[in-house]
Amino acid sequence: MSVAVRVEHLSKEYRLGVIGNGSLYKDIQSWVAKKRGKPDPWVPIDERSKIGRQHFWALKDVSFEVEQGERLGIIGRNGAGKSTLLKILSRITAPTSGVVKMKGRVGSLLEVGTGFHPELTGRENIYLNGAILGMKKADIDRNFDAIVAFSEISGEFIDTPVKRYSSGMFVRLAFAVAAFLNSEILIADEVLAVGDQKFQEKCIGKMRDVSVNEGRTVLFVSHNLGAIRALCQSGILLEHGILTMAGPVEEVTKRYEEELANG
Amino acid sequence: MANGNDETWDVIIEAKKNLLSFDIKELLRYKDLIKLLIRRDFVSVYKQTIFGPLWFLFQPLMSTLIYMFVFGNIAQLGTDGIPQPLFYFSGTMLWTFFATNLQKSSDTFVNNTGLFGKVYFPRFAMPISYMVNALFTLGIQFAFMLIFYIYYIATGYHFVPTGWILATPLYIIQLAMLGMGFGLLTSALTTKYHDLRNLVNFGLSILMYATPVVYPISNVPVKWKLLFQINPVTPVIEMFRYSFLGNGNHDLRMWLYSLVASLVIFWIGLVTFTYNEKTFIDVI
Repeated sequence: MSVAVRVEHLSKEYRLGVIGNGSLYKDIQSWVAKKRGKPDPWVPIDERSKIGRQHFWALKDVSFEVEQGERLGIIGRNGAGKSTLLKILSRITAPTSGVVKMKGRVGSLLEVGTGFHPELTGRENIYLNGAILGMKKADIDRNFDAIVAFSEISGEFIDTPVKRYSSGMFVRLAFAVAAFLNSEILIADEVLAVGDQKFQEKCIGKMRDVSVNEGRTVLFVSHNLGAIRALCQSGILLEHGILTMAGPVEEVTKRYEEELANG
Repeated sequence: MANGNDETWDVIIEAKKNLLSFDIKELLRYKDLIKLLIRRDFVSVYKQTIFGPLWFLFQPLMSTLIYMFVFGNIAQLGTDGIPQPLFYFSGTMLWTFFATNLQKSSDTFVNNTGLFGKVYFPRFAMPISYMVNALFTLGIQFAFMLIFYIYYIATGYHFVPTGWILATPLYIIQLAMLGMGFGLLTSALTTKYHDLRNLVNFGLSILMYATPVVYPISNVPVKWKLLFQINPVTPVIEMFRYSFLGNGNHDLRMWLYSLVASLVIFWIGLVTFTYNEKTFIDVI
């Protein structure tokens, strides 16, 4: 088995508080004050004594590897760094240091229906959303009927603007496009928190199928441990930006549950 | 670490280092997306409207009428002997193309935060699609201007078009680069300073009067002329009118200066944009 994703010493730093003063005018005043050796007029008095900026490490020195065809669950409490990790893997933001190397095309699903335009029809949105997720027009042409079938939307609605859709139809169509994303690596956030129970199960089933049948690698973040256990083989646990455990999914979820129980 | 895995990686993500990390191959891989974005913006403008695509003509026609009345009749500003409708229409059309490019590209990050925060694709696909849309609009308006043009010729008006007419595509590219260049440059700043958007809009409406849209450059007093010509949009509009109508001012040196300025400004804009696209989401 070859490695599909290798994460090496990944760190991401955020600055706390307001970045700048929100307007150029105030930033210039701050800058002038600094040059003249006077206190910054826009820094609250009680913070002036603090030296330097406040920093916050959302991720600190995280390293792990994912084999090709492996389904990895990423778990942790709110603020543990899961979303930051996914954002870096999806190339939405750059890391502060460290490297991620990936083999194959990457498709990320941090949200369903990204880029859907309400004025466009279901058909037009399938193409637009597919292209935003990185599919080629030919891929979408080939899978078009399957996408519509998966979404359970009847053919007569497909040429209606999506603003006329019910929210359920909208979400099903959006996930259907994503389900046919044919990238070798699939990164998914809590996208399954949408739709009813039955549709959620269908989506998990679809993700497992593509991984088993086509050898695709899946990185999945969820608070729903049931979904993680159903889909993933292995897991990593993040706590305050640090990777504290990596191993088979049963052990990692068990440890996470124990920690939750202990507070 | 496992060895034997030193094959080539398809995607490498690291902290931003290079100043210019513009990846043209990556952009081309997303050409289907660019096409769809263009279509989306073009179609969504006139869905559920009465006049549909006619709106693309309505705006410059109304401006032309107003300019004819205000600047042509009340203020009695000359047009270098060019028929007023042609003079004003060509000016507004070119100016709008420049201004739209600037405005749209400068709003790239602010208007697409939701999208950029959820999915990766080359961010430059957005300004490119805005530019192509502005180009379509310009195309429609240009065709309309040619109808005017032919009408004047048919009614016995004598134009002396010059060989420079062949450089028209270059004028358009120049305006696109200038507009996008300034826009990309400010796009990075507007993520941090949201009030800069107002400044951009305000600045554009002022700058229009420093550009020979509603008056010919020959109307400007000699001592101020250089100041007006430093504006790199000026020589392009003057050259365009000169090429088609044979009248008016054309200063080749100023035009060459403007050509160089467009390249430089576009390059600076592109560098700023690619440097900021990776982490703007943390700042906005």
